[in-house]
Amino acid sequence: MKQQLNIVVNGEPHELFIEPKTLLVQVLREHLGLTGTHQACDSSSCAACTVVVDGMAVKSCSILALQVNGREITTVEGLAQEKSLHPIQQAFIDNWAFQCGFCTSGQIMATKALLDENPDPTREEIQAQLDGHLCRCTGYNMINEAVRDAAKRLKARKDLESQKWLQTAKSGKGAK
Amino acid sequence: MKEFSIIGKPTPNVDGPAKVTGEAQYTIDMTLPHMLYGKLLRSPYPHARILSIDTSEAEKLPGVKAVITGKDTPGGKWGLWRRFRELSDQQALATDKVRFIGDPVAAVAATTEEIAEKALDLIEVDYEPLPAVFDPIEAIKDDAPMVHEDFPSNINATRHIEWGDVDDAFAKADYIREDRFVLEAAHPCAMEVHNSLASYDKGTGRLTVWTSTGSPYFVQLNLAEALKMREGDIRVIKPHVGGHFGGKNSTMPDAVNAAILSMKTGRPVKIVFNRDEEFTTTEHRTAQHMALKLGLKKNGEIVAFEVKAMTNGGAYTGLGATTLYLTGTFITMPYKIPNYRYDGVRTYTNIVWGTSIRGFGAVPGKYCSETQLDRAAKDLGVDPLEIRRLNAVAPGYTAPGQYTFESCGIQPCIEKMVVRVKEKWPTIEKDEGIGYCGFAYMSGGIFNWIDTPYAYSSAHIKVNWDGTVDLYSQAADVGQGHNTVAAMICAEELGIGIEDIRLHMGDTAHAYTDLGAWGSRETLMNGNAIKDAASQVKQKLIDIARLKLGENIAYDLVARNKRIFLELRPERGLSYYDLVKDAIRQNDGVPLTGTGHYTPHNKGMISPAYGMGIMAIKAKVDRGTGHVTARDVLVVHDSGQIINPLGARGQVEGSIHMGLGYGLCEEMPMDQGMLLNPEFVDYKILRTRDMPEIEILEVPTYEPNGPFGAKEAAEATIAPAAPALANAVYQACGAEFFSNVLKPEKVLKAIRAREAKNNAASQAKE
Amino acid sequence: MPNYRCPMCRKICATHLDLARHYLGQTDKKHKEWLKTQGLSYAALIKAQVTEFGNNGYEALAKVLQKEATVIDEI
Ligand code: FES
Ligand code: FES
Ligand SMILES: [Zn+2]
Repeated sequence: MKQQLNIVVNGEPHELFIEPKTLLVQVLREHLGLTGTHQACDSSSCAACTVVVDGMAVKSCSILALQVNGREITTVEGLAQEKSLHPIQQAFIDNWAFQCGFCTSGQIMATKALLDENPDPTREEIQAQLDGHLCRCTGYNMINEAVRDAAKRLKARKDLESQKWLQTAKSGKGAK
Repeated sequence: MKEFSIIGKPTPNVDGPAKVTGEAQYTIDMTLPHMLYGKLLRSPYPHARILSIDTSEAEKLPGVKAVITGKDTPGGKWGLWRRFRELSDQQALATDKVRFIGDPVAAVAATTEEIAEKALDLIEVDYEPLPAVFDPIEAIKDDAPMVHEDFPSNINATRHIEWGDVDDAFAKADYIREDRFVLEAAHPCAMEVHNSLASYDKGTGRLTVWTSTGSPYFVQLNLAEALKMREGDIRVIKPHVGGHFGGKNSTMPDAVNAAILSMKTGRPVKIVFNRDEEFTTTEHRTAQHMALKLGLKKNGEIVAFEVKAMTNGGAYTGLGATTLYLTGTFITMPYKIPNYRYDGVRTYTNIVWGTSIRGFGAVPGKYCSETQLDRAAKDLGVDPLEIRRLNAVAPGYTAPGQYTFESCGIQPCIEKMVVRVKEKWPTIEKDEGIGYCGFAYMSGGIFNWIDTPYAYSSAHIKVNWDGTVDLYSQAADVGQGHNTVAAMICAEELGIGIEDIRLHMGDTAHAYTDLGAWGSRETLMNGNAIKDAASQVKQKLIDIARLKLGENIAYDLVARNKRIFLELRPERGLSYYDLVKDAIRQNDGVPLTGTGHYTPHNKGMISPAYGMGIMAIKAKVDRGTGHVTARDVLVVHDSGQIINPLGARGQVEGSIHMGLGYGLCEEMPMDQGMLLNPEFVDYKILRTRDMPEIEILEVPTYEPNGPFGAKEAAEATIAPAAPALANAVYQACGAEFFSNVLKPEKVLKAIRAREAKNNAASQAKE
Repeated sequence: MPNYRCPMCRKICATHLDLARHYLGQTDKKHKEWLKTQGLSYAALIKAQVTEFGNNGYEALAKVLQKEATVIDEI
């Protein structure tokens, strides 16, 4: 019997009717056409399929879609803003942190969850967060460097934003 | 050295935005309207005769649109050794017998994957199990079961290489040692599994196939053979590919059966292997036995070398016969070997077959030769780096009848290593050791066992009114970054920007032939073809500029920064964009085009150019547990003129990852032909925590056969990782290894063996 | 100077050892069959060549070829 699923994916609400055994990865890839999330194993052991659910990195192949009913999900398609890439995405490009790109959305989404929690991780902390993420192409070092670079970019962006906010506050116009 | 605007500058991946946003489409991401899902029924036996197959129940299942067995296929056999027709041994579905666990016997197309899977369960196959053979030593026996009729003693391919007078040189050597090795199989483990989508148009009789491949051309010609169609009626498109590593050269049953099912049903059919199928039925790095005999002078100079190899080929040929050949070649590099003999035999066995995995030929062979060299050095009291320096080749070195190194930076690489290693690791801890390994690898193969009548690589460019360039080639970016290299070479030659180039790659219908991504061939071979095409257009623009500028004909014009100008008077020049408009106007409105090609001639048997260098690994051994840790890696590398430093570094890092896996943890244990670890849970590839940091020092040379002096960067550095690691352990504790996977129990055993040897030696002294 | 001609495909080599190398490099049935008529086994020759150091497989065949495949002044 199909059941109703309400989720918000990349800011868009979706109402779907699905078989209860449907995995989140299937909903994303097959029902919503979000093929940026990849599947590279059948044993929950590669983390290629990682997405962010309410701020947490989750393997979308290892969770039923109904388990995230009512939750907010971000996939790799939801990171970029209008014209510009997200700083993590840009850092991955500038540091050659992917080759074939197949594991990349998982790496990027896990990085997103990590940097939201820990804005200045060390090499070892990054390795701890990304340890389950298999990559056959890069040898990981360039991913690690991209994550540290992304952290710097995010910090710079934040600093800029708070500076701007401070300036507007000082000029007496106040924030809207 | 020449100044470049684009070559040599770190350039982000041209596919980057697509790959980081999820926009990049891989075959596995594709669907077509009305598409069916295909699945393959596979043999549970390593060797069995098929007595009967009953598909009637499966056909009745609602949602099933077609069920086929061997007799429903066009029956063409295919392979990559087309020069030897009898080695075209693959087929869509087994007809008479199955040859390994996983050999496909039937295929289903259904409206969903689930239904297709259910239908497989309803197919009844009656097998008569046959005696099977799993090891080359067993396979080559006179009374061994025959995997293929007409191949007595399962001899699939042999290779002999010989130069100099080996026996005489051994007779005169000061020191001789013999060692025997067993090398394990390893899986390429591309993250995107093999999968294909086929769409047959009944009206026109034409077929289109999207597939995760390293060579759309190979798939096209293999499909033509399998389906008994004309190559030209088949279009193969390579979307983004989620990893290759040598496992995606052969055309596999996914592409062929998707095509046959599409022909039967008139609907598009997609077949995707699951990870288990990927491990158990797709190609891997061949397991083999090797025996090496090395003759040296007292000072460590090599005088004679002899190598014997028996490889566990598996059920079919793939590029495994090429691997057998190259094993005998790369094992000699980059050293002067005045007298050399190699004999290799590849045996058919009842396991999934081995082929051309990354660094093919070099990886098992170098493991043996470089660990043997360290033992010999120790016996003679020669420093391990010194013995490599002493024997390293110089530019212009020729191995008689085999290969010549034109650009060759191995000596400067070793010199730099000597200096850097002292700075980097002035002291080492207890139970740490530093191991070395020299290496060299081809920049694309010269051999043509595929028997192509076409140029090895070609490229076509079209320059539009607004100056943008469309670049067409079948060359394959499989993740290594060739698209970026292609755009850089094209832009450099025309003196324009990467943003001016639009790529149309990997489509057999829209581009001229390139043999694909294997043997590190794309940078040199496709790069030369692209440069040729671009230079034709550049010449047209220069001709027009010369006319318009009215300068002395002796003055040289160059294309750079989107202008064409006098090399010595840069202010005198014209805009590239204006010149393009003039050229098109002058050409009756036809866009500018150039068609370039490249086929090596008179460059020996192997390759026009070789990447090379030396690697050092610092490793630590835990004497209590046997656990080995690779702590730090240093590579000094001659990759010619680097086209894209970012991409080149990525290739080296990735190679070392795979190479260390070969040395530490990757193996494919089998029981009676059944793979015991067909999931990432059990098949261990190195994780981010396992990876040491890697320092790469480039010692650039100029390679005359490569575009802008470039040569390979993708594979040379995989082979040295495992032997350098084993040598580090040898230096740390004297443990000797004759097999590649340094699992703790093996290391412990080797440490105990060493201790026993030492004790015996000291007792003997007393 | 004698030359040596392959009894199966007529390839000519300067030495009987070279001809033996050519011969064992051929994978077709024809070449393998003729060995039987000489009391040799293709598999045994290959095995000798790849499992022992030296050129034992080739030399065994070369001995036979020296008798069976000599031609005088054909090139
Ligand atoms: S697909 Fe491998 S863990 Fe989800
Ligand atoms: S980039 Fe290819 S698997 Fe990670
Ligand atoms: Zn012959």
